[in-house]
Amino acid sequence: MRVLTYLAHRLLFVIPQLFGIILVSFLLVKSVPGDPAVLMLGPTATPAAIASLRKVLGLDQPLYVQFFIYVKNLLHGNLGTSWQTTRPVLDDLIQRFPATLELVTLSLLVAIVVGVTLGLYAATRPNGWIARFADLYGLSVGALPDFWFALVLIFVFYTMLGWAPAPLGRLDMIIIPPPSVTGALTIDTLLAGDLQAFGSGLSHLALPVLTLGLLNAGPILKMTQSTMEKMLESDFSRYEVLCGVPERLVTRHALRNALPSIVTIISVLYGFLIGGAVLVEIVFSWGGAGQYAVQGVLNSDIYPVLGFVLFSAIFSLIVYIVVDLIYVLLDPRISN
Amino acid sequence: MLAKLRLFARLALVRPRFAAGYVIVVVVTILAILAPVIAPFSPTEADSLSFLQPPSSAHVFGTDNVGMDIFSRAIYAPRIDLTIAILGTGLSALLGGSLGALVGYYSSGQGIRVWLSFALMRAADVLQAFPIFVFAIALVASLGQSIQTVVLAIAFVNAPIYLRLMRSQVLSIRSMRYVEASQVNGLSDFQTIIRHVIPNAMGPVLAQLSINVGWGIVLTAALSFIGAGVRAPTPEWGSMIAMGFQNVVTGQWWPSMFPGTMLAVTVFGFSLIGASIEVLADPAKRRLLLTDVRLRDIARAAKTAKRASLGQG
Amino acid sequence: MSDQFTRMKLGPSRRRFLQTVARAGGAAMLPASFGMGEAFAQGANDTLVIAAPATPQGLDIEFDVSLGSIDSLGALYEYMLGYEKIPDPNAPDAQREDTSVHADKPNNMALRGRLAEAWEVSPDGRKATFKLREGVVSNWGNPFTSKDVKWTWDRKFNAKGQGLFQTAVLGLTSPDQIKIEGDHAISFNLDKPSPILLKQQCNLANPIYDGTKCAAVGASDDPWAINFLKNDSAGFGPYRLSQLVRGQQAVFEARSDYWDTKPAMKRVIMREVPQSASRFSLLQGGAVDIAQFLQPREMEALKSEKNVAVDAVNASYMIWLELNAKIAPFDNIDVRRAVNLAIPRDEIIRTIYYGYADPQTAPMPYIYPMVDKSFFSYQYDLAKAKALLDKAGVGKGLSTTLSYNAGDPTQEPIALLIQTSLRQIGVELTLEKLPAGVFYENVTKRAKPMIFYLDSPWTPDPGYSLYLYFNSKSYVNYSNYNNPAVDKLITDGLATLDNSVRMPTYAEVQKTLMDEAPWGFIAYPKYTLARKANLKGFTYYSSNNLRFQDFTRS
Repeated sequence: MRVLTYLAHRLLFVIPQLFGIILVSFLLVKSVPGDPAVLMLGPTATPAAIASLRKVLGLDQPLYVQFFIYVKNLLHGNLGTSWQTTRPVLDDLIQRFPATLELVTLSLLVAIVVGVTLGLYAATRPNGWIARFADLYGLSVGALPDFWFALVLIFVFYTMLGWAPAPLGRLDMIIIPPPSVTGALTIDTLLAGDLQAFGSGLSHLALPVLTLGLLNAGPILKMTQSTMEKMLESDFSRYEVLCGVPERLVTRHALRNALPSIVTIISVLYGFLIGGAVLVEIVFSWGGAGQYAVQGVLNSDIYPVLGFVLFSAIFSLIVYIVVDLIYVLLDPRISN
Repeated sequence: MLAKLRLFARLALVRPRFAAGYVIVVVVTILAILAPVIAPFSPTEADSLSFLQPPSSAHVFGTDNVGMDIFSRAIYAPRIDLTIAILGTGLSALLGGSLGALVGYYSSGQGIRVWLSFALMRAADVLQAFPIFVFAIALVASLGQSIQTVVLAIAFVNAPIYLRLMRSQVLSIRSMRYVEASQVNGLSDFQTIIRHVIPNAMGPVLAQLSINVGWGIVLTAALSFIGAGVRAPTPEWGSMIAMGFQNVVTGQWWPSMFPGTMLAVTVFGFSLIGASIEVLADPAKRRLLLTDVRLRDIARAAKTAKRASLGQG
Repeated sequence: MSDQFTRMKLGPSRRRFLQTVARAGGAAMLPASFGMGEAFAQGANDTLVIAAPATPQGLDIEFDVSLGSIDSLGALYEYMLGYEKIPDPNAPDAQREDTSVHADKPNNMALRGRLAEAWEVSPDGRKATFKLREGVVSNWGNPFTSKDVKWTWDRKFNAKGQGLFQTAVLGLTSPDQIKIEGDHAISFNLDKPSPILLKQQCNLANPIYDGTKCAAVGASDDPWAINFLKNDSAGFGPYRLSQLVRGQQAVFEARSDYWDTKPAMKRVIMREVPQSASRFSLLQGGAVDIAQFLQPREMEALKSEKNVAVDAVNASYMIWLELNAKIAPFDNIDVRRAVNLAIPRDEIIRTIYYGYADPQTAPMPYIYPMVDKSFFSYQYDLAKAKALLDKAGVGKGLSTTLSYNAGDPTQEPIALLIQTSLRQIGVELTLEKLPAGVFYENVTKRAKPMIFYLDSPWTPDPGYSLYLYFNSKSYVNYSNYNNPAVDKLITDGLATLDNSVRMPTYAEVQKTLMDEAPWGFIAYPKYTLARKANLKGFTYYSSNNLRFQDFTRS
């Protein structure tokens, strides 16, 4: 029951937050130069044609009216049309968002495995070489720009060794993609029973997932290590050790108490990476949503940008709510 | 002064990685300052006769696809990158930090201040929920490509971090005795904040600053990589990586790899500095560090004594 | 007649625009799944698979000049006339249109009748009568009659798109000037003689529609079939549209009831592959027959591949700098000349085009009749350039902005080379990178002092080309060039059919233009085709498009 009221509270906040996000992004995007009507009609358009299109798009109205129109359309599920793809933004995003999601989720899984494992080891054996390696890893990995690291991996594993496929998208061009169920190639290919496509998809995922996964393991590692250290030094852990509880159990209990912080950082990363994976998407020509939005900004195509911001904001908010719910479940003390 | 330096040297020997961080940053800064003197070629001169040449004695880092010398550009680049990152991060710390201090101080109490704090926090939420690249690119696209706008973009993107950091620091300090004491003594809110709260909150902020400068460099490079950073042909690590991007796939690695490596090493240096500040600022960790220093001194003293005694005997 | 050239130039601007956007976007617009299950048809000798930067946005030339669109047009539609074909001097396997002046041929041109079997131009040049071919049917089965030609030209007056320019360029003011003279005869009645009347019948922008089908399909609410023709075709060409999934692919099937030789390629699949690197690797791997619009260095890399051939032919493309005559310092003629003397054309062609271009030495395409390259006097000479700047009173140094298109990967390196060169004569350029959309806006608004432009006029005629860019009333005169004497010469040359008058007239125009340097002349990029070695038949058209019916496999 408490969970439900808590959920209700959070959801109530979501609406004004979303509204704020839409408002800010609308204003921001509107300030980017470039007349949408001119862009849609092309440089050979007559001034008369441009004027009439502006009227149709509502561009001759004052800004707040345009915002109103946009929100009204939003509520009807109309996110506008991209002049570059000439398709509704909603359709474009439904195609591209799963690509980003698949990439980010898999990368985060890798990051969690690497980060938590190393962090645990480093915390439980603070003088071992793993701890020192973990320290260095955490520091250095935070310094590497992801687009550069991706280039290094491409150079080593594709150009020199030829192990990885060319950084040209999610699948070999020759492979027919499976019918789209979830949008995630790994799932859809398995659902369709197409093992060749599955293999191709995995091989194309290897480098980008490695890039994002290894680089984002850093913060997770650091958080795991520092929180675990704190937990292991705290009273209850020492008491357990004094009582002769086996080390594995001590660690497990400490970990359970450290989980909230670790989950926090994972959730923050998750929300961040949806938009933050853009550079890797660009390097690997992934065709993801972040890339779509960036191209939108660069080419004064405003609706894709707004649509993407909306999608990623909603996604982040969902992630945060889920995480907070997990807290409530994990720790009965945290409920205010 | 000298004693401090000596202490610093001993600290460096105990934790070589921290020393490495400072050394890296100092070296890069020196390179940037001395670039006009050291650089064999002009960083913006395209010499198409020698385009895409691999590293050689004439061009230590090779040339890019319009014949500009990569070494010269790579050592000029930190001028732009460091300037933008430091200015941007500094601005964000100033902006976010001061707002954060206020918000933290007034987050409970009466009336309009509480509401303002609340609103500001929600505004920061909104800003942080924004995909940062889209935000930064849109800012640069609307304000025009220039160093100033990139600085602004970095400032805006990072401000919420400092806002939250300062706020949480202030919140925890606010309840401390000495703040109560100062208030009892009749100090105004403003004076209390300035004299007591902020100085005590600075430690983590400083550590964060250093790491953020490194991150600011990455963001600047990322913006230029996408094409929304400084304008061509300004030497800047990110735009150099972007210009050489296509060539990596066809085997000409040098236009992108050299600037990328310098970028990574520099940012790494800033991370190390940040880590060192973190240790120095936290009293418990500082004690540990100084203990190690003392242990090392004792060991050295023992060795000298042993050698002396052996020599005498 | 000059007053009527008020409409926009038809032309590849939007196509170019979308091409560069596609290049810029790379795979941004690459859909996550191809979905339709259409594999790259392997091994079928009569299937042509093309990796294109973009699928057609719309199939109606009236409103859409995008890349995929113009490549589709030549296959879906038929034209009244066409040029004879001759082998290309630079590419052994390729052919090209014969657009030269032939004093010994009728109308002084090497024309072939297509939908028009025979034609006659009155001695005063004001009336052209066409006898139309009988026995031709459209892809909807409707027989071809003069009604279709009439409907086509009526549409140009009414659809308010490119057609307005097509009519204005011929001096047509009313649909009544196109008269049906019989079921298979039609006449064009001009107020003044036009030397491009027959040439315009060959122009890709003037396909003939199946008027019967269009009228039936559009009924009363869309009498000009605008919605229909955007997504489908109704014409007399060798192919019909079999499938169009925008952003993914377009599929064309050869028609068995086509009036002329049936195409060897029975099926054509045009796949959208936005990144040139992807198209490159597809061709390299043998998955496609043609990889369009590769970058120069990619084409260089293909030369060593055994199963791939690259045809590079002289084309109607031009790339230049608009030097805005209304914005200082380019209002000064000596400054413009100085800039031209300092453009390192040979370097640009070698470094950036890898030789797939020729220096631009005339203000019109070098493959068009009556082009005169002898007036080019801007060989690279920095000393001369500096002297001219001194003369212009800016010898101490000058700074201005050069704007370029972020979406065109050749423009930034060219800009860098020009910047370095100009710096040596004391001109400091600030490079301004503009995203594709903003770039074109600035070009048409004539807002910048110095901005790139890449274009090609489709009609191989000096008057047409020179009018487009240099007549003061032309919408496409983006450099704000204004010389009344030149205006008059250009329009005079467009009012007579007599080549002995036109030639010296246009020589005079070119001489003046080269002297007054409204442009920073850079290069003539070649049209290149990267294809499988066993694919023959490539023919170059001045509208820079492919016609699928040309191709055969050896």
